[in-house]
Amino acid sequence: MRTGYHFGSGWGRYIPYLFLIPGLLLYLLIALGPSVATSVFSFTDATGIRGAPINWIGLENYREFLFLGRASQDNYAALGRTLVFCFFVTTIQFGLGLLVAVLVNQRLRGTSIFRTLFFLPVILGAVIQGLIWSLFLYPLGGPMARILEFFGTSSQFFGGPPPEAFASVIFVQIWANMGFTMVIFLAGLQTIPDDLYEAARIDGASSWQVFSNVTWPLLTPSVNTNILLNIIGSLQAWQLFLVLIGYRNGTQVLGYLIYAQGFGQTSGSVTSSFRQGYAAAASIVLFLLVLVLGITTQNILRRREERILG
Amino acid sequence: MRKMFLPVLLILVLLSLVLSACASSATPAPADTQAPAEGGAPAADEKVTLRVLVHQNPPMVEFMEAFNQKFQEKYPNVTVDMSVVNANDLSTVTQTRLTANDVDVVDVFGFANAARPYMKNVDPPNWQTLIEAGYLLDLSDQPFLANYYPASIEDAGTYDGKVYQINGGTVSYSGIYYNKDLFAQNNVDVPTTWSELVAACETFAAADIPCMTAGGKDGWPIFVGAYGLIGSIYPDQAALVEGLWNGSIKWNDAKSMEMWDKMKVYAQDMMEAGASGIAGDAAPGRFASGAVAMFSGGTWYAAAIEEAEPAFEWGYIPFPGSDNADENKYLFGKYDQGWAIATKSPNTETALLYLSEFSDPASYQEWVNAVGFFPTQPGATLDTQIGMEVAPYLENFKVGYEQYWVAPKGAGQYANPYASYYKPFGEFDDPQELADKVQADLQSGLDANQ
Repeated sequence: MRTGYHFGSGWGRYIPYLFLIPGLLLYLLIALGPSVATSVFSFTDATGIRGAPINWIGLENYREFLFLGRASQDNYAALGRTLVFCFFVTTIQFGLGLLVAVLVNQRLRGTSIFRTLFFLPVILGAVIQGLIWSLFLYPLGGPMARILEFFGTSSQFFGGPPPEAFASVIFVQIWANMGFTMVIFLAGLQTIPDDLYEAARIDGASSWQVFSNVTWPLLTPSVNTNILLNIIGSLQAWQLFLVLIGYRNGTQVLGYLIYAQGFGQTSGSVTSSFRQGYAAAASIVLFLLVLVLGITTQNILRRREERILG
Repeated sequence: MRKMFLPVLLILVLLSLVLSACASSATPAPADTQAPAEGGAPAADEKVTLRVLVHQNPPMVEFMEAFNQKFQEKYPNVTVDMSVVNANDLSTVTQTRLTANDVDVVDVFGFANAARPYMKNVDPPNWQTLIEAGYLLDLSDQPFLANYYPASIEDAGTYDGKVYQINGGTVSYSGIYYNKDLFAQNNVDVPTTWSELVAACETFAAADIPCMTAGGKDGWPIFVGAYGLIGSIYPDQAALVEGLWNGSIKWNDAKSMEMWDKMKVYAQDMMEAGASGIAGDAAPGRFASGAVAMFSGGTWYAAAIEEAEPAFEWGYIPFPGSDNADENKYLFGKYDQGWAIATKSPNTETALLYLSEFSDPASYQEWVNAVGFFPTQPGATLDTQIGMEVAPYLENFKVGYEQYWVAPKGAGQYANPYASYYKPFGEFDDPQELADKVQADLQSGLDANQ
């Protein structure tokens, strides 16, 4: 069957595209434009200082990032750390978010207060989140230090050895974003009809059977959304590293490395150079990582969704 | 779909070309940055808001607020709008505001880390890029430059034969503050050698008193606190940097191993547990509280210590890193904060007037008293306690490693002599393993640029 075309034939057919132009231009300039410009800058020695000469240096930034000396090995280590960060944040945040969503979805008094409390960290900025935890985990008599002291142990938290500091940031990242994961699960849980639960219980299903055979399959869209958002969000994370531990060897993730290279923060010196061309090349590497992981995950999740929901 | 691909690709390519062209356009020529020779006062009826950017340093900010007040009283048509940023953010904010033409007077640290002739394939420091892009005003003909030591103008404000900054003073970062009461109560003499320092810490540890503190949360105070230790082993730090670049000095040779062994003691035995959680700004207060015997830090902390606890009795000594007391008489440091003017400032005359007033000997003396910098004006003296404490060592003052060092591209992240690489601040426990790692990280950069 041939569908009708409202704008007729001839030049009139192009009228819809005319209406699209403002939105398209806005998207190109604000969203896509800077991304494309970043890829162009990655082939230059740009410093980010307007007016400073910019030279086209081809693949030199990529060569330096991927192959030059031990600095490139440090970059691979940061890449590995980014994946470790992503794995722990994604899995723990996902699991906790689901657990908390199920708990606050119960028809009990006060659940709305808990929902608010769990979501509250999401609306705080990274600086506030960092400040809260810097104070709470202050190793010289902070509340957590006193609790650990009671149990005969201690920790330097963010100022400790790199693995300890890194683990502390993972913890804060999860605390800061778990509420968002919870809200998405909560929205999913509230779309599941009560009839299904009633039918399952009449059939004698246990709580676990209800969860695994009713709740979990019907939460598939929320599961997929959360996994994707958690992966992408954690791969791009860097603000909490900046606020909580600064640029310290053995703790950098790729996102922070990009910031530090671009804005002269690598040596702790106030006279470091700004290497925004190099940072742009590192950004493209991070982009490719996010792209590959994102597309692969999306494909796996889509197949899973088709298998479960048809 | 395929038909749409080409137009979209074309648009993207065009857009990227436009954006990159915009970014590289119109380099302002430094030749146009010459300031008017006489910075006369702006017309009295002309309202001017002078935008000043300064980094966070409590005594300095306090002085500047008072100075601004006086300046505004003297020139009622001028309002000074001063912004304060964290030192770590200064370069980013400076660059952003200069390029946005949103600032008139900027705070620039001394012109350090310039690439030396023997350094190959290194990036120029940020201040050099700013000058080359035409963002800092040429102050060469300003009369107030005559108030400063020519050497300070040359070393900390001159690039390519032109003057772009007046420097507010030098600081030492290689000393230790000590708590006079705790030393007296525990019968500990002020250490003049490494062995005496170790023994002092053991005495304090036995009395359950933390030996030393520093602002470990900011990272740099830990390794900067040990710069004196490096200095006692390598007194000529310009030669040290050149030696590292040409391979005649290695971070894992016998001489350097002495440094690493001592740094381990400094980081693990001397530094108090929990120092890694103390912010740089909070460390003077921690020391002034009387809880710790010593505080390894720069002379710029003196004012903050006095402000935190005016009655607190303290002294300051060069870090005794050697067992030969004669080798511990050096103070190492740097040119600290100075002032530059934005070339594109619409308030150039007022900005020049601001620097002229700042450079006035009476005003500069107040500045030195407030911030505790060693003066860069011949007429000024550092009459404060820190001034008296360092007076015996000033003739042995030297610019330190940090001001000379530029890492070769490709060097690993451990290519520095930092005590903070040791546990609990870092990952290392074994001095030889750390020294080998540091040298290997440096060598890979040197080799990569052959």
